[in-house]
Amino acid sequence: MLRRVKGLICQGPKLDPGCFLQARAWLSAAANQGAQIPEERLRMIFRTHESNPANHSEQHEGQHYSIPLQEVKVVFPHGLPRRFQAQMKTFNEACLMVRRPALELLGYLKSTNFAHPAVRYIIYGEKGTGKTMTLCHAVHYCAKQDWLVLHIPDAHLWVKNRTELLPSSYHKERFDQPLEASTWLKNFKVSNERFLKEIKTQRTYVWSKRESTEMGSPLGEVVEQGVTRVKNASDAVGVVLKELKTQCLLGSFRLLVAVDGVNALWGRSTLRKKDKSAISPEELTLVHNLRKMVMNDWNGGAIVTTLSQTGSLFKPRSAYLPHELLGKEGFDTLDPFVPIQVPNYSQREFESCYQYYLDRKWLQHEKVCTEEGREELLFLSNSNPWQLERISASL
Amino acid sequence: RLTQVRWSRYGPDYLEPEVNKEVYRKPGQELSEEEKMEQDLKALQPIKAAPCNVTSSLFSDPTISKFINMMMKGGNKVLARSIMSQTLEAVKRKQVEKYHQASEEERESIECNPYVIFHQALKNCQPIIGISNIKKGGKTYQVPTPLTDNRKRFLAMKWLITECREHKHYRIFMHEKLSQELLQAFNNEGPVIKRKHDIHKMAEANRAYAHYRWW
Repeated sequence: MLRRVKGLICQGPKLDPGCFLQARAWLSAAANQGAQIPEERLRMIFRTHESNPANHSEQHEGQHYSIPLQEVKVVFPHGLPRRFQAQMKTFNEACLMVRRPALELLGYLKSTNFAHPAVRYIIYGEKGTGKTMTLCHAVHYCAKQDWLVLHIPDAHLWVKNRTELLPSSYHKERFDQPLEASTWLKNFKVSNERFLKEIKTQRTYVWSKRESTEMGSPLGEVVEQGVTRVKNASDAVGVVLKELKTQCLLGSFRLLVAVDGVNALWGRSTLRKKDKSAISPEELTLVHNLRKMVMNDWNGGAIVTTLSQTGSLFKPRSAYLPHELLGKEGFDTLDPFVPIQVPNYSQREFESCYQYYLDRKWLQHEKVCTEEGREELLFLSNSNPWQLERISASL
Repeated sequence: RLTQVRWSRYGPDYLEPEVNKEVYRKPGQELSEEEKMEQDLKALQPIKAAPCNVTSSLFSDPTISKFINMMMKGGNKVLARSIMSQTLEAVKRKQVEKYHQASEEERESIECNPYVIFHQALKNCQPIIGISNIKKGGKTYQVPTPLTDNRKRFLAMKWLITECREHKHYRIFMHEKLSQELLQAFNNEGPVIKRKHDIHKMAEANRAYAHYRWW
């Protein structure tokens, strides 16, 4: 009975969009009239079958769409938050919620003029409201549209956690980070295999006395060089970024630069030199090259970034606005940008998330399916997605 | 002269607070005579303050609170509570993962509710009969004794916690060790169930000395 009804109601997107908010009153009114409106109809509203982000519109707002796990491995080798990855493993599926800021961003991306300089979008909001997930939604859209995606999962990881710091061979005062650069190159290779074979280098690069990359060889070779010779990994990253920037102007491919935690590039770092003096992010090769990438002096793509207080260094927890997190230098560099604010869940989105967790058997406590349990969840989490996830984990 | 060190500052006429919201929602007609008398008493008598760990939340559970108190070290309730919530999450994650990967017939037999698993595991670990040391004629005998409900619950929780703290590797997180123990106890296997069976066997073996008990 359940399956047949679900099959009949596959018309999630065709349902009246405004009905959800009045769904409760509507259901009780209908029940009073004695009409047979199945409970399943309400529950199906939290899922949509439209898995291509290009076709998402306001009627899908608040609904979850699933990405096949094979695609997730290719499009997101890094970049999804850890708790979401654990959730993916538990539920055996990857479901993202379609929200208004993401729809706004996708609208802007669809109408980009590739002859103009790249527009910068900054996604900001309070802690745990879904900025990284909005970024992942945009990355998925661009991957589907066959853009070249340059996704840096967390720029904060490049300015903290003292591992190895080699003095750069290319530039005397800069420092290399071989480990972070090589992991990033490995993940970059997984997501953009096709482009690495097509794009050719425009200059020769000499790595050492015996190793060099000739002009006209595919970019994949530079990436291989960085992965195998870990000492040159940061320089390989710099070369890749430079090549992509110069060749994007020619128009053979579209480039999306997605940086999570862009405020790390202009903050302070906890790394220190051997004589215990502090290193500013400017002195790190990776950060220096990434700053050049985020400038709007190239065309043929877009730059989508997220501000993040969670991994940031020396910033108070209550800071979430661009001016507070980026500082004067960062704000001036990124200055003409499009801000996109991500708020907490609306009524409809909260209901959708709640129904999704109930459907996937995540909310297990006997009292949680009642009205009062739902209201208590709403109160405890204040509709904050991160809080809701943490609370519902132990219920 | 002896004076009590730990004694309640409340007088004898103070009543216990009622935290459950359901009790106050019952309309007046459904109440029995005794309950009406109690409500009239509450309107006039002073009531003790509710302790911090008792809430009117729907999700509070007295057994879980007791377990958290037993796990707590040095008064660090925050840490003990977070370990408990991580344990429940770990148990739920393992079961839900199994649920989603199982076929239709197996799905009905998989229990996903971490609270049900916790209560059932605790029930499986509770011993039916206990052992106490009685000294007679210079020798100490292990005499089988009955146990109260509270003592059984206490022993089950104590065994679970000591098992995780002492017999497992110290670098594994407590919530991982606890979730593993709870799932094993739920399926009636594992070291805690073995310890319960050992106590039972010892009591059965020392049946002859049961008459040494005088209470």
